[in-house]
Amino acid sequence: MKVAVLIKQVPDTTAKVGIISGSVDEGAISKWSISPYDEYALESALSLQSGSGATVVAITLGPERSSKSLIDAAAVGADELLHVVHDGALGSLSLQKALSEAVTRVGAEVVLVGKQAADTNSGSTGPGVAKILNYSCVGLVSRIEAGSDGFEATRSTPSGIERVSVKLPCVFAFDKGDVELRRPNVRGIMMAKKKPIERITLADLGVDSTGEGVSTTSVDYPPEKPEGQRFEGPDSAAEVATKLREEANVI
Amino acid sequence: MGPFELRTLKGLDLSGCTDIMGYEALDFYDVDSLLTDEELMIRDAVRGWVDESVIPKIENACREGVFLDEWRQEIGSMGILGAPLKGYGCPGLSYTAYGVICRELERGDSGIRSFASVQGSLAMYPIWDFGSEDQKEKYLPRMATGELIGCFGLTEPDYGSNPGDMVTKATEDGDSFILNGAKMWITNGTIADLAIVWAKLDGVIRGFIVEKGDPGFSAPEMKGKHSLKASVTSELVFQDCRIPKDRILPGVKGLRGPFSCLNNARFGISWGAIGSAQACYDSARSYALSRIQFDHPIAAYQLVQNKLAWMLREITKGQLLAYHLGKKKDAGEWIPEHISLAKMNNVDIALEIARVSRDIHGANGILDEYPVMRHMANLESVKTYEGTHDIHNLILGRHITGIQAFTKGA
Repeated sequence: MKVAVLIKQVPDTTAKVGIISGSVDEGAISKWSISPYDEYALESALSLQSGSGATVVAITLGPERSSKSLIDAAAVGADELLHVVHDGALGSLSLQKALSEAVTRVGAEVVLVGKQAADTNSGSTGPGVAKILNYSCVGLVSRIEAGSDGFEATRSTPSGIERVSVKLPCVFAFDKGDVELRRPNVRGIMMAKKKPIERITLADLGVDSTGEGVSTTSVDYPPEKPEGQRFEGPDSAAEVATKLREEANVI
Repeated sequence: MGPFELRTLKGLDLSGCTDIMGYEALDFYDVDSLLTDEELMIRDAVRGWVDESVIPKIENACREGVFLDEWRQEIGSMGILGAPLKGYGCPGLSYTAYGVICRELERGDSGIRSFASVQGSLAMYPIWDFGSEDQKEKYLPRMATGELIGCFGLTEPDYGSNPGDMVTKATEDGDSFILNGAKMWITNGTIADLAIVWAKLDGVIRGFIVEKGDPGFSAPEMKGKHSLKASVTSELVFQDCRIPKDRILPGVKGLRGPFSCLNNARFGISWGAIGSAQACYDSARSYALSRIQFDHPIAAYQLVQNKLAWMLREITKGQLLAYHLGKKKDAGEWIPEHISLAKMNNVDIALEIARVSRDIHGANGILDEYPVMRHMANLESVKTYEGTHDIHNLILGRHITGIQAFTKGA
C-alpha cells in the first residue's frame, strides 16, 4: 500500500512575518517548516508504515526551498520524495489539480494531509484533491488505523469523538492529534541526505495554472489591538463584572 | 506584558522587538550559516528536544537533585552519544556537529551536556581509541544508544590538577587485576554501568574498565552540590576490587590516555558554554524588554544596553572561536593549546554573562523561574572541571614561553 502525504512548507510559527508592497515578504522569513497539521498527517503515515508496511511518499509543491521539508520528512522515515517545483503564487484549484496528478503518478490510494496550512489557512487542499480524484474524504481526523477493509478514523471535536470506517481510496485531512510527533535522530538525518528527491514541474503533470478563479488582492497587518482598560479599587468590581459579561463575553 | 502593550508604551517605538517570548538563539554573525545541512538538522532536532524535554523539567530536577532517566533514553534514541566516533554503532559525525550538540544541550543545562560529554568523550572515546576489538564490540554499540552508561575516573580526593601523582593502584594477581584507591567528582558515577578508571600499574598510568557489580567496587553519590544539581556526581571506591585481565585498555600508557579524552571533552565544553551564555543572554534581553522601572522598560536605559551589547559581543566572539576550532579539529590541524584557549575563554565569558544576566534580572534573577542563576551556578563547576581556568592559562603560558609553571621545581 502506498500512502501519499501532502506537505506544505510554511513560515515557522516562531518566524516574524512582514508585508512588503501588498504581499508577504518571503525573503525576510528566517525559518520555514512543515505546516504543523501536515506533521500530524506525516506522523500517521509513518505509523502505517511501521504497523502495516505501507510505503510513505512525501509530496510537496513549492519553490526550491520547499525540498527541505521533504528532507525533514525523510529524516523521520518517509520512503519516497516527490517535489513539484513551482515558484510564485498558485491558485488553490491548480494546486489541487497538480497534487492530484502527483498522487496518481505515485499510485497512492490513501492521501494524508493537514486540515489546513498554517500560512493560508484555507483548508481546501484535502477536500479538493479528494473531489478531483473521486476519493472519499474525511476531515478533522486525529488518528487512523488500518482495518481489514480500509481504515478506522477517529475524529475528535469539542462536542465529542466520532469513529468512522473508511474504504479505499480516500483522503484524510488531519487535525492536531494526541499522538506524539517523532523527532529525527542522527541516523535518520544522515540517511535523508542520501535519499533522492524526484523533481517535476506543473508541465510534467499536465497542469495549466492560467485561468484561476481566485487570486489574492492584497495582504494587510491585523488591526492594532486597542489599549487595555484599567480599573482600580474594590468599587470597580461591579463595573468590571458587567464589562466581562457584556463586552468581553467571557462570563 | 505582551508585545502589543510594549509597542504603545509611553510613545516608545519598540516595534522592532516583537518577539519577546520563547528562545531565540543569538547568532549575530550568522555563524550557523557555515554549518552543513546535516549539522543544521541535528541542531534543530537537539534544540527541539531541549525545548520540549529539558526546559519544562529542569528546575524541578535541580530541586530534587536528580538526572531523569528519560533524558538518558531520549538522548540515546536521538543517536548523538559519542557523536564524532565512527563504527561500532557510533554516529560518525564531524567534531563541529559534536560541538553543536553540546551547545544545544548546554543551552538547556550544563548537567545534561556533562552527561553527554562524559559518556561520549570520556567513556566511549577511550574504549574506541585504546580498547581491544572485543572491548569495542562489547561496549560501544550499547553505549551509543544510552543503554549502557559510562563514567571516567581520573581525579582523586588529593590529586586534581596533577593527576600524574594519583595513588590509585592496580596489581596483577593471576588472571585478575586488583584495584585499590578512590576517585572523586565523577560525573554519572552512581548511574554508570561501567567506569573507565585510570590507575598505576607498576608505576605507569593505565586505563581499566570496571563494571558495576565488580567485587570491591562502589560508587556512592556526592550530595550537597550547589551546582550541576541535575547531574549525578559520585565517588568511585576500590577496595581490593578484582577485575578480569581483559579489562585493561591495551592501547595506551601514561597520561596521554586520559589527556586525549579530556581534549575531546574540553572541545565540547568550549561549544557548550556558548549554549549557556546564549540562554542567559536570551533571558536577560527578554526580561529587560518587559521589566518596567521608572515608567520605561529597563532595556531603554543605557546601563542595561551596555550590558546586553557586551554579552552580544562576547558571545559572537565565542561562537567564532568555537566554530573555527571545530573546523581545525575536523581537519586534524589542532594542538591541545587551541582547545585550552577556547575552553578557558568560552567558559569564562559564559560565567560572566550569567552573572551580568542575573544582575539585569534584579531580585527575580535568583528565582528558578528564570534559568540564569542555575546556569551561573553550573558554570562555576564547568570553569573548574576538565582543567581549571588557571591550569589552561598555565598550558598557554608554557606554550608561549617554553617554560612550564605547573610545579615549583626541585
